[in-house]
Formats: sequence, C-alpha cells, structure tokens
Amino acid sequence: MPSAAALRLEIERTLGHRFPGALTPAPKTIREVAPTGIASVDSLLEGGLPVGAISEVIGPESSGRTSLTLAFLAKRTEAEQVCAWVDAGDAFDPESAAASGVRLKQLLWVRCRSERDVTKAKPWTRLDQALHATDLLLQAGGFAAIVLDLGGMEPEHAMRIPLATWFRFRQAADRTRCSLVVLGKTAYAQSGAEVVLESAPFRPETVGGTVWCGCIFALRRQRQRFTQFSAGGRKPPASTWSAGAAWEPGRSA
Amino acid sequence: MSGELYACVHAAEFPAQALLRLRTDLQSRPVAVLDGPVSQETICSLNRHAVRRGAALGMTRLEAEGLSGLQLLHRATEIETAAHAVFLECAAKFSPRIEGVSEGIASALALDIAGTELLFGLPEKLSARLRDEMATAGFRVSVAVSANFHVARMKATAAHGITIIPDGEEAQSLEKLPIAALNLTDEYKETFALWGIRTLGELAALPEVELVKRLGAAARDWRALAHGVAQHTFQPIEPEFALKEFYNFETPVEQMESLLFIGARMIDCLVARAAGRALSLASLTVEMELEGGRVHCLAIRPAVPSVDRKFLLKLLQMEIGAHPPQAAVVSLTLTAEAGQSSKVQLGLFAPQTPEPSRLDVTLARLKAIVGEDRVGTPVLEDTHRPGSFRMEGFVVGAKFSALKTERSRMALRRVRPSRPVRVVMHAMKPVAFSDVGTRFEVEAAYGPWKTSGCWWSLDGWDTEEWDILAANNNGEKFGCLLVLDLRRNEWWLEAFYD
Repeated sequence: MPSAAALRLEIERTLGHRFPGALTPAPKTIREVAPTGIASVDSLLEGGLPVGAISEVIGPESSGRTSLTLAFLAKRTEAEQVCAWVDAGDAFDPESAAASGVRLKQLLWVRCRSERDVTKAKPWTRLDQALHATDLLLQAGGFAAIVLDLGGMEPEHAMRIPLATWFRFRQAADRTRCSLVVLGKTAYAQSGAEVVLESAPFRPETVGGTVWCGCIFALRRQRQRFTQFSAGGRKPPASTWSAGAAWEPGRSA
Repeated sequence: MSGELYACVHAAEFPAQALLRLRTDLQSRPVAVLDGPVSQETICSLNRHAVRRGAALGMTRLEAEGLSGLQLLHRATEIETAAHAVFLECAAKFSPRIEGVSEGIASALALDIAGTELLFGLPEKLSARLRDEMATAGFRVSVAVSANFHVARMKATAAHGITIIPDGEEAQSLEKLPIAALNLTDEYKETFALWGIRTLGELAALPEVELVKRLGAAARDWRALAHGVAQHTFQPIEPEFALKEFYNFETPVEQMESLLFIGARMIDCLVARAAGRALSLASLTVEMELEGGRVHCLAIRPAVPSVDRKFLLKLLQMEIGAHPPQAAVVSLTLTAEAGQSSKVQLGLFAPQTPEPSRLDVTLARLKAIVGEDRVGTPVLEDTHRPGSFRMEGFVVGAKFSALKTERSRMALRRVRPSRPVRVVMHAMKPVAFSDVGTRFEVEAAYGPWKTSGCWWSLDGWDTEEWDILAANNNGEKFGCLLVLDLRRNEWWLEAFYD
C-alpha cells in the first residue's frame, strides 16, 4: 500500500502541468506583530503593527493619529518594554499619554529644539535633530517601539528625507526588533514602510450637545507588505474606532 | 632558611617617571626635570635617553637648553604624590605588609613576601609579575628579593632588573657594592677613602673589634649591613585606596584632543587599579583648573559601574563636549568612586531593554543634539495646573504602575509655546478665531471649563478652557483647545486634539 506522501507526490506529478504544487500548501512567512489594544484596528492590521519594521500613521490634524499611537505605546509599556518618542515639533502631551495608559517611566522623550534655540555649533533644523536622534536610538537597540513624530511638520519639508534614510531605518529596526512608527501628514517612507495607515477626519461624540466626550475616527490601510490583495481594484480595507475624553470614567488603576 | 623573605622594588628618577607615566608621547624622548627657584633651576631627575644625550643631575637650565632635543619639564610634587599612591597600590597587590624605604629622589618599597609562594609562585615569578604590574602602571623598576631586609633594599637600589639573592649568599652579593650604599656622612666617607675601603666587601673583611675601637658603635651596624646579617624591625604602612589621578600641564591646554589624550591614560590607570580590587568605576569627577584660577568641574555617572575604558572615555568626551571649559586648562584631576561590578540576571523571557552602558552614550549624544534638559522621562507634577510636567533622567528598569484604560483616549498635541489668538464671541460663546492671520469658523464650542489655583502666589492661574470644533476656508475640520486667561483677558491656542 503506498504511503500518503507517495500518493501526494503521484497526484502532484500528474496534475503538475495544470496546478503546480496542488497539494503542497504555499509557504507562509509569519510576521511578528504587536497589538495596538484597539480591537477594530488590530483586526484591520491582522494582529497589530509590525515588529522590526516601519509603520506610518498619516492624516491631517485631529484625525486620531496621536491617540492611536499612544494606545499602541500603552500596550508596549504595559508589557514592561521600553519605548521612545522623538518629538520633532515638541507637541507631545505627557498628560494625554498618561491618560492613555502609557507608563511614562518607560518612555524616553526627545524634544527637538526650535531653530531659534539651536547653537551656532550645531545649527540643525528640527527635522535634522529628529532624524539624527531616531538613528541613534535605533542603533542603540533595546527599544520596543520608537515614534518619530513629524505630525506637525509640513509635507514639503519632510518629503525631502532621502529614501536611503528610510531604508537605513528599516534595516536598523529589523535588526533590533523595534517597531518604528512615523506620524505624519502624508506618507514619507514610501516603499520603506511595511504598513501605512491613513486616518480620516473625525466625528465627535457629545453628551447632550454640551460636553465633548469622545471621537469616532476612520482608518484605512493604504499599504501592507507581504499581504496579497485580490485583483479587481477593490478599495483598501478600512475600519473605524473610537476614543474617549481623558476625563471620561471607565479606568482602573 | 630563616622564614623571612623580602622583595624590594625601587623606582629610580621618580620625578621624571611620575611625569612620564601619563605622557606616553614623551617616553621615548630625552626628558629632564627641573627643580628649584626660577632663576636657579637645575636638573633634579632625568630619563636614560637624556643621559645618553649628555644631560646630568645638577645641570642648570642654561646648560640643559644647550643639549639638542632635550625636553625640559618642571617638577610637580602633586603629580609625584599621586604617582606614589599608585606605586604603593600596585605593590599592595602582592603583599599587605609594605614598608617605605625611599631615599632621595627615588621611590622604593619593601614588601614582606614570606608565605606568598602558594599565591604567586617562586620569588623569580613573583618578581617578574611585580615588575610587569609596575610597568603597566607606567613605572620602570628594579626588584631584589632576599631573606634579609637591608640586603634586598641595597641590592634593589644598586642593580637593574630582577635580582634574586639565595639564602646564605647575602654577603657575597653585596661585596661589590660601593661604600656609599650605607648612607654614611661625609666625615666617615672620607675616613674610609683614606683607608682605601671602597666596597662593602672590603668593609666586611675588616676586624669588628678594631673597627668599633676606631669609629664607634655605629661601625658594628655598618659591618653587619656589609655582611648581610643586619636585623630590622618591619614597620608596615597602610596604603590608602583613593582612585585619583592628577596631571599638571606644562602649558595651558585649549584643545579637547589634548585633554582627552591625558584623560584616556588617566582612565586607563583608574580602571586598572579598580579592576585589581575586583571593583568598577561608579562615577568620575573631573576637575579642571583653568587659567585665572577658576575650577571647572564635571561629573560622569554611568548607569552601572563599569571598567570599560572606551565607554568611560566616550562619556568623558561627550561631557567635555557638552560643557567645555571657558578658558585654557592648567591641570586636570580625575577622581573616581569605586562601585561593585554590575551583575545582571538575564532571562529568556525578560523583555528587551537597552543595554545600560550603551544607553548612557546614546543619551549623552542625544543631549548634545537637542539640549541637556530636553531628553528624559516626563513626570507629571502633583498639581491641577494644565500641562505641567518636569523632565527627569531616563533610567531603564524603573517599574511603576499606570492607569489601565478600557477604552483609548483622545490625545492632545501641545502648541509650545502657546500662540495668542483673537476670538470673536457671540452669546458668550466663541464663534470664530484668528491664528497667524488665518480665520477659522467655530462649528461647535464646548465649555467653559474653569480652572484656577495658586491664587496666593505670583504664578497662579485662572482660566477658562474651551473645546472647539473649527473649520478653515477649505472646509478642513479640526478640534483644538482654546484657553482664556482671565487675569490678563487674553486668548491662547493651547493644543490640538488628535
């Protein structure tokens, strides 16, 4: 009696000219991901933001980019991992981060100086400082997530970042198993990014029309490497998620 | 075998050696050290290269300057004191019982090494290790080992390299030493010269009774010394363990590279001394005496005690780069605090964290880029004042609980510094505002949320906060936080919701 393996080989050889590897499942690479802690976003991303790669969260002001990123950092710091926030525009709000559940003691905050305050010895722009700082942190290793916050920067400035820089960051992130999250108004890393999430303007939630108690944000997955999209010009997958006000009850210490 | 065994280590020309141990660039060049009042300086110490060039002790500065290629340095007693501490500490690695036997400008120590065979091996082996240890610290020494204290001392002074004197051959080993090895006064030296006695062997051959009759009771001791049988009561000293290095520059130094050149050598010495006691450097204090008498102090505190010289040197470089001295440096002092070597329990399932020593260098580099006070961990202040926090140093390993949220929260993006805006009110509510010349229509305004505090002090606050949904001329909508300062009646754009 022929064994199952021999039988499978026989069938595949017979059907080989029409269906190559008919009974052999296609090899699948399991990509490591880290959850954001928001169920609908994790579902959209098939588990979370990738580890050891660049993720871009893009959109205009008030589209939920920062809230989503803080939720991601909250999950990472909850797992006793160390994160960094490279703040090109000095816009990070520690109170919002704490309200989102980020353990501030495990967060390294690098606040880039404005052009007015730079010294003659190192007359670097905010963008230069942010890129240099990100490079150093990626090379140092040990950070589970690094956020490069270019959210307040005009695209015409950030678009000047050479593609080689993004590829270098991708290599370093891969080597140190770090999730590099880039916040911006538009996508900058192009093919260097593994995931690009586009946040859309929001719809506010109110209580009795007098108190602003939350927002509903729309999110669309623009790009995800190693994911096969079916042909036919389907729209990119999208989802919505909501965030409450910092003062809203429903927290536990 | 009497059971006693002594090793004497002798560093000749100590003023020159003390100066040259930190100046590796001068060690292969002829160097002489001048001492005395400015107008009457004479050579008090010199290295062997200088001797080959014709320099000699007692030469005046004018004579010394006439010799081509001779580098002249000034004697520095502080450097010699620091070097002597290092000298003593190196010797203390081989025996806890040490007696100082320095004479003149030489530095010498006698070590009681009886019973150390199991630790260091035979005297030959111990001597070689002792000489290597001294060479690592920057000293060229001669070593002599004998069962008699004085024999070891005199032989180390007179001979070069390593000399092992077997038990019972003490007198034989001393017979060719000059009579000057006994440190006689000029009167007795003259007497012996008249008698034709020039070596210890000739002195030892004289009859004891006749000698004592002519020169007194002291002659008995000299004869015993010449025979290698003089007794000695050992008086051990306690070496003080202080990790300190000092260097006085010949000319004031302005360039950082020159400072680091000496600093690197100092760190090497400190690391070697700490490692010799199974310790690490927990902190480094750098004191730079500047031209004009001011002192510039810097402190380096690695996250964990370290003996990695490259890492410590990098931290020193970053610290001096971040806080450069405001004038040329006259002298440099490095003082280290010893700490226990770091022990980290690693685990397969422990989360990845930055390596502490590497993180130190990274943080120093980040501070050099963005500023000292702009890198660290944000800590919320214990106050109701909106947006108040302070920065603290980032430390890996700090574990603190945090709020666990069941739902994600809307975050603010702060505008630093806050921007003044002009607000149009209608029915006690904002209906439009202008920011940097752009007008925004308010679609919805939620508020006012009043906060105030510290009314008793100058930095008190009394504000109204408004959550605003606004749109610009292109129809792009956004949410922001406008604040009315009731004390000044001014509106400010504080943050954007994102």
